[in-house]
This record gives sequence, structure tokens and C-alpha cells, in this order.
Amino acid sequence: MNMTALIDSLHPLEIKVLTALKAEQAKAPSGSLRDDEISQHASLEASQVSMAIGWLLAKSLIRVQHETVTLFVSLTKIGERYFEKYSPVERILSAVRDAGQTGKRLTIQDIQSREGLDASEMSGAIGSLKKEGAIRIVSGGCVEATGSPSPTAESLRTLLQQLRGTKRELTALVEPLRRVVEQHAVKRGNANEPFRIDDHVDRWYVLTPEGECAADLLAQQGPSEEVSQLTPELLKDGSWRTKRFRKYTISLRPPRVLAGKRHPYREFLDLVKHKLVSMGFEEMRGSLVENEFWNMDALYMPQFHPARAIHDVYFVKEPTHARGIDEPFLSQVAAVHRDGGKTGSTGWGYAYDQERARRLVLRSQGTAVSARTLASGPKVPGKYFSIARCFRYDAVDATHACDFFQVEGIVLGPDINFRTLLGLLNLFAVEMAQAKESRFLPAYFPFTEPSVELHVRHPKLNWIELGGAGLFRPEVTLPLGVDVPVIAWGLGLDRMAMVALGIHDIRDLFSTNLDLIRTTRGRF
Amino acid sequence: MPTISINLKDFAQLLGRPASDNRPVTAEQLEAWLPLVKGELKDQDAETGELRIELQDSNRPDLWSCEGIARQIRIKLEGAAPAYPFFQAAKDQKRRVQVAPGLERVRPYLAACVANGYPVTEEALTQLIQVQEKLADIFGRKRHTVSIGLYRLPAIVFPVTYDLVKPDEVRFTPLGFEEKMSLREILAVHPKGLEYGPIIAGHERVPILHDAEGQVLSLPPIINSREIGEVRVGDQALFVEVTGTDLLMVLLTLNIMAVNLADRGASIEPVDVVYPEATDLGKTIRTPVDFGQARSIPIKMIEAALGQALSADQIRKALLDYGYDASVSRDNVSVKLPPYRNDLMHAVDVVEDVAISRGYSDFSPVMPSQFTVGSLSRVEQVSDRLRDLMVGIGFQEIISNIMASRPELIDRMRLAGTEWDRIVEVENAMTQTFSCLRQAITPSLLKVEAASSRSFYPHRLFEVGEVALFDPTNDAGSRTVMKLGALIAHASANFSEAHSCLDLLLYYLDCPYQLEPLAHPSFLEGRAGRILSQGRPLGLIGELHPEVLEHWQVTMPSVVFELEVDRLGER
Repeated sequence: MNMTALIDSLHPLEIKVLTALKAEQAKAPSGSLRDDEISQHASLEASQVSMAIGWLLAKSLIRVQHETVTLFVSLTKIGERYFEKYSPVERILSAVRDAGQTGKRLTIQDIQSREGLDASEMSGAIGSLKKEGAIRIVSGGCVEATGSPSPTAESLRTLLQQLRGTKRELTALVEPLRRVVEQHAVKRGNANEPFRIDDHVDRWYVLTPEGECAADLLAQQGPSEEVSQLTPELLKDGSWRTKRFRKYTISLRPPRVLAGKRHPYREFLDLVKHKLVSMGFEEMRGSLVENEFWNMDALYMPQFHPARAIHDVYFVKEPTHARGIDEPFLSQVAAVHRDGGKTGSTGWGYAYDQERARRLVLRSQGTAVSARTLASGPKVPGKYFSIARCFRYDAVDATHACDFFQVEGIVLGPDINFRTLLGLLNLFAVEMAQAKESRFLPAYFPFTEPSVELHVRHPKLNWIELGGAGLFRPEVTLPLGVDVPVIAWGLGLDRMAMVALGIHDIRDLFSTNLDLIRTTRGRF
Repeated sequence: MPTISINLKDFAQLLGRPASDNRPVTAEQLEAWLPLVKGELKDQDAETGELRIELQDSNRPDLWSCEGIARQIRIKLEGAAPAYPFFQAAKDQKRRVQVAPGLERVRPYLAACVANGYPVTEEALTQLIQVQEKLADIFGRKRHTVSIGLYRLPAIVFPVTYDLVKPDEVRFTPLGFEEKMSLREILAVHPKGLEYGPIIAGHERVPILHDAEGQVLSLPPIINSREIGEVRVGDQALFVEVTGTDLLMVLLTLNIMAVNLADRGASIEPVDVVYPEATDLGKTIRTPVDFGQARSIPIKMIEAALGQALSADQIRKALLDYGYDASVSRDNVSVKLPPYRNDLMHAVDVVEDVAISRGYSDFSPVMPSQFTVGSLSRVEQVSDRLRDLMVGIGFQEIISNIMASRPELIDRMRLAGTEWDRIVEVENAMTQTFSCLRQAITPSLLKVEAASSRSFYPHRLFEVGEVALFDPTNDAGSRTVMKLGALIAHASANFSEAHSCLDLLLYYLDCPYQLEPLAHPSFLEGRAGRILSQGRPLGLIGELHPEVLEHWQVTMPSVVFELEVDRLGER
């Protein structure tokens, strides 16, 4: 690396450390500094020095001249407990001595239960006391004090007192104490000991030849201080002119930023919504809870229709029925179901049940919203759409949701006929799916005749069904007071949305996984 | 919408193009014809030639068989409908079915015919059973309105009686069993008795079909006799009968069975069905019977609906190509459906058939030309503004299911037994998970929070979405309301942070407000408020109660607010 570029990229902390080492070297050619000395000379925090040393070592500007290892002793949790409650050795010895004075005889089990010691503590302590000759085992397994002192017990007490709340160099301890420490220090396989021995490494650093060169260059560059952040102060007093700005390594990954964001599926739905408005459609809205009349009867679905059974629609528990259905719609729809009424139709020819009409259900199709619009004096010509949440009695899996959005609507006008229906679908194919190819297939819906399915060639999915449409039957429009032809259309956009969002499970459209929601991006 | 299986070879045979023909029928070719029957090829087995086809039109049961599909396509290819002379049979049929009095209260109608001279092939038998099942199941509403029986003719001594008997009076061996059983036993034990028995339950006497010598043919609509009612490959003479509750549906079903058998080469011989009282079609009905009637439709009406000028001859040709009987005068076309169809309710039904017959590709699309103004509803406009502002304040939008469970909406929110515990519930829930409509957005956001504890904090979530508020004063017992809900969750989330966001939001909406202390079980006491605007409640704000968070297994302090969007939109 070019030395000038290297210097330019140095962090202020690195410069301070280099300068401190350079000054020490000026005093003595082999002058080196320990990290705590560096921190003193350069007036930096220990953590800053450690960061800077890491960077400088990586750049080979400094090296470790030599290092020493110092062993320190301190108390473990157990050691602290021993300080307060005495060690097993001390407790056994004192128990045995007390017993000796009162003439009692204690077995090992007596001592263990009296002192609440566990078996391993017992055997270790009894072992070392016996070895020292401070106790002996007599007939009947009883333990007696011999009257000899226990150096271990005394050393332990001294150490526990000296080390409490502090640490000491191992070499600073006198020989017998040091041996006790080494015997009773935490080791692999024996964690239940009162002492811990830690090693502390001190390193002395010197400049490498490159480091010297860098330090010299820094010295030549003079006092112009390097800064990392342009501040309001620097701008106000113009002092930025005398500063150098540290160059950044811009290839690093940036820190994470959290953004407020629309839901990815919403972005898709908003696109659909704006497309429809741009094509001249007016939004209509409805209610999540509908009665069967508007959900189905008004759409000329006979009350015995298989899709109206208990296994297709959700019924509301309470109240079960709406209070009433507005006239003249109820009578007119009832007549159409019975015998066609005044529509020129034969009707379905069954006894229409007005009670059933009031049964409350969760809206199962967006067409219910269209039916309400037809009955409320819509504009002619008029175009309407809704993006309505609908509910279907389906087992929820990767392709079925219990509630989902349906995009659909109506077009009314004197110029509406089969060919304008096809024209509208062509427009949808181009606007909604950017399809270059589309085709129309005969279809069946209970409320339209003729009925059409729109298939388009999707760039990723090949031929897909984009939607269904048709001209509302007169049995639908006339009883609701509309006497111009009406297109009813619906678009199946969820598959397109899933492709655009890169998801494969319809449940992920309403995901509860925040990471997924935050990271999903649409390709619209 | 039934899905049926057909065999490509069998189909080609019925189409009049057997394997020896030099124009073999491929699956691709068939698929190209399927628009004529509103069919969709679902899958195919190239080895066996089995194709599965979904048929969309629930008013065209005649198409729910290989015979029906082939017939509709054959008519188009040949430009002429097949002749079924048996519909104009001479009087005085030698075979008769007598209908006993009292059946009008149980299962009133019967239609029957004989199919002679066609040895049933394996493929034909498969199709016969399939169409019998589809017609009875879907068109006949699981045999309630229509069911079908097929029998070996030689075993039957006419006249046959459609009778009513007490369940213990008669015994016979049903299909699938080895020994004779009483009708009562069949209803109690036989799988079909258990499945379809309820159709004739509640009557002292049940329907039975027996011949002149007292042999039982079947217990309609449940099960056939094993001796007479089991058709086998090679049988050359069949007796077909349909019973049901709707005369026209019964007649139509028999007509379909008759033309299907006729298409395979059987000679159909009508049967006289004699009722105790006169029906809509008289006391004696000779079945199969063509009960359809001609209708006159103005040509102008067809042209207007299609948006295309068509000559009378073009319309007539399209209808003949689709199996209609049609004749034209100057202004009108007189149409009559073939006897296997009864789906002409309105002239528009004929319009669609003209379009299908000519092919939808024959009609060039025309853009609707009339000018309309596009617009969003007021509540959607306000919702969009709210979304923009919330996103700007740094919130991530959520979209949730509206269906949820009572434990989520009420119990976990500590609302059970309080004034807030009424919600819209579903009577026929499939699972408890989705059995109610949410009344608030907060549970939806908590569901996300509960599932996302590993996602980088802070969490600032919002949803603008519909909820259903239980409201006895409303006609439907509930109101659909658009609500904004927002949730902030992180280690130091508190009331003040949510209040700041709310304050900013309502500032931009130019909506002055006050907070009024509120005791609400979902929130920490003294840290919740009702949001009021000009004295009217607009929503709630508060720190969620630790117990609520525990119920949701959320371990971050969370604070929420909710607003009714509709009220913000009032001008």
C-alpha cells in the first residue's frame, strides 16, 4: 500500500498511538510501551488503545516486542463462602475438637450430617487432616482430634482473609501458602475449589520500520489535525479549512436502518386500485356481514344452489337474521326466483323462502357489493369496482385462505353488450397483467349470461385465468331497478400477487412474520 | 361443477371417429373443442387414454358424461342434431309402471324406459355408473330430488309397480350383501341406507319398486336388488328408471340416460307411467318424453345483446349447430331445446349458445366508449392518507386475516365478561382459529408481535383495515368499520411515545382532540385514554396490560392506539 494513502486512512486513535510510540523511541532506540503505558501517554481509554493496537497490528505498523505472563490468585464463589462459613477442613477439625472436649464420639456420618457437607467435600477434607496427623480414626469408625495443629486449616484461613475482595500475584505468596493455593485452585474436572488462578499477559509494543516511516510522515504533515466528522462548529468558525478529513473505507456494509413501509401486498393492491380508478372506475364498499338476499338471492342464485350449503358459506351465530329486506327488492327478487316475475324468464320455479333471505352470512363474494350498488340508483353510464374481503368455508392451506380480497365490479350503460364485454376484458389483460396475448372461453356463473373466462399468457405462469365476467342476467338487473345492460367482472389477482411478491403460500399474503414483511419486495 | 373421467378411445368412437378413422382424435384436439361444453381438461393419463374434465355449467347435466360431451361436439362437426325417434313413439306401450297412491307425499314421480340390443361394454358401464352418480349427486342434490336405477331387463315381469310398503313387509337382497334383509334392516345397516335413508325417513311406508311377480327391483332412492339391479358387461337389455320429487327434473334425467344409451347403439323403448291422479303432464306419461316448448325470440334482441349484426340464417345455423331446433321468420327466431336439455329460462340463454356455437373468437372486442369518472370512496381516501402518514412516522404496515378466535379477541385481551366482550361469531366454524370477526386491530398486531420477537427492534406496526362491531341497533346486528391500529414494541416503549405519534397524526389530519382517562382491562390502569374529538369518541390509546402481553407471550413492553377511520373522514 502506498504510504501516503495508508496515512490518510489512519484513524485518529491510530495516529495517537503511533505518535506515543514514536516519542518513546526517541528517548531510547528500543523504547517500547506496555498497553497501559500507551493509554497513559496518549491519554486514551484502555478500550480505545486496544482497538487501535488491533488495527495497527493488522497493518504491520507496530509489533509485539516481548510479553510476560503473570499469574494472579483470587477467590471463587466457593472461596467467598468458605471465608464466611469456614471450609470443610476447618469445620471438621473444630467439630472433632469440640466433641473431644465434651467426651462425645463422632463418626464420619455424624460429622457429615451435622455440618451438612456433601460426600466429596467430606472425603477430601478428612483425607488431608488425617495425612497431616491432626485427626485419627479409631475403633467403631469414630474420629478423634490428635491435638496436633493442621497447617492446611491455618493456611486456608490466612489465604481466605488475604484474598477476600482482591487478587494477588501468585509469586508474591510465601511457599506453604502457594502450595495450598495450587492444591485448592479450580482446575479442569474440579470446579468446587476456593481459589482461582488467572494468567494476565502484558505486551510491550514497538514501531515496525513501516510504523516508524508512517510516524515520521505524520510528524512532517505538521499539526493540521485530522477529524472524522464535519461538525456545525467547524462550519461556523471556518476551522474546517485547517483540518484534514479522514478517508473512509466505503466498501464496508452500512449499519441497518428501519423504515416505515407499506405492506408489500398493499403495494400490489394499491397498484390495482389506481389502475381501476385511472380506467374510470368508482369505488364501492360493502359490509363484512351480509344477508343471503344480497349475497345470493339478488344474484339469482336459487336457494337450493349447492354453493349455498352449510359447507360453503359461514353463517352468523347471533343475530341469525337481518330484520328485514328493503322493498320493492324483496318482492321483485322473490317473484323472479318463483316464476321469472316481469323479466321474461321462467324463473327457477320453486317456493322462495323469505325467511332464508334474511339469514346473515359472512360475505362470500364481492358481487354482493355490486348487487347493493345496482339497487341504489347507480350512474348510467357507470363503472364501479370494489376490493372486498370475502369469506369461504374452506380448510386453510397453501392455496386456500379463510378470508381474502376479491377484486370485482360492474359496468353499466346502453352501449354494453357481449363485444364491449370482451373489449373491457382485453383492457384488463393489458392493464392488469401486461399481457400481450389473451383469449376468451365460455364460462358459467349463475348470475351472468353470456359468461366469459379471460385467460392471459403470463410471462412466468404461461396461460392463467385472469378473471371471469359476463352480462348480468335480466333476472338480476330488472328486479333491482336497472334496465340497461350491465357487465359483471371479477379478477383473480392473488396468484399474480404471489408471483410479484415471490411467495408460494397464499397464507403469506397475510403473514405474521415481521421479518418476512419487512424484507419482501414486490416486482411489479 | 362436476369433474368426470372419460376415455379418449371411447370418446372418439362416440364422436363417429373410431381408431380405424383416418382423422384420429388427440387430447389436444379434444381440448380445442372443450369450449363448446364449457369444459376444462384437468389432467390426462397418456398411457390409458383417461382424461379428467371439469364441466362448469351446473345447468347442463346432459354434458356430464362422455356421451354428452361427444354429442355436443358431434353436432357442431356435422352441423345436424341426431334423431331420437323414440320421443315420438306410437301409443300403447306394452310395458307399464303403475304408481301407487300415497307416493305424492313421499317421492311422487317416476320415469322409465328400456334400452335394448346394445351389449354393454366395460367402458359404457363405467360411463353409465359415472353419469348415474353425477346426476343423482349434483343435479339430484344427493338423491334428494332425483335418483336413478338400472336393471337387467330379462329378469323383470311387467307391469312394474312403484309402490309404498311398510319397512318390515318386504325383504330382498341389496347390492353388496349376500342375504335377504328387510327394508328396515337395510335402512339401519346398509352403508347406502345410512347415507340416503334420511331422504325417506319420517314416513310410515317407504317406496319400493317391484315387478308383476313381486320381485323387488329396488328401494328408491337407496339401493337396488342384487338379483335384478346389478348390470354387468355384456348385458343386452336394460331397464332404466328415475324417481324423484320434481317431475321435470325426473323426466329430464331419464331423457339424458335414454339419449346416452341411444348414442351407444341401444334401441330405446318407452314405458308408460300411470299415476293415480293427473300430473302436470296428465295421468299417463309415456317416458322418455320431450316436454320442451318452442319460444320465439326477436332477432334484434340477440343482435343487441351480442353487439353484432347477424342475419336470421346465421342465427338459425348457429343454433342448429348447437343442437337446437330452430326456424326463423323475418324478425323472430323460434327455438326449441333438444329433449335432453331444460335450461332455457330467458332469451339470454339462447344468446350465449349462439355465441358459443359461433365461437367467442368470432366476436371482435370493442372498447366501452362512454365516459366515466373514476374515484375512491371517502373512507378509502382517508385510509390512504393515514397509511402515508403512518409510514412517514416510521411504522410498518401489516395486513391480517379478519377472522380470528374468541380467545385471541376477548380472553387474551382481558375482556371476557366486560362490556367489551360482544363480537360477531360464526355458527359453522371449521376451526376455532377462524371463528369470529375481529372487532379491533390490536389483536391482529399482537399476533404479529408474538410471532416476531426475533425481528430487529424497535417494532412499530400499523394496520388500516375493516373490523365488525357487534351492534344490536344495526339491521345486521353488526357494523363494518374501518379502523387504524398502531403498536409500538421495544424495551422502553411507553405511553408518551404512542401519544407523540397520535398527536402528530391528528395534527396533519387537522383533527383537534383530547384524551380522557379510561379504565379498560386491556391496559395498565392510569395509562390508557379515550381519544375524543369534539366530544365524540374517536378511539383508544394505552400501554397494554402486562397480563395481556403474557397471554400473547410477548416479552416487550407494547403500547397501542386505535382510531375509527370513518369518523376521521367526516366533513
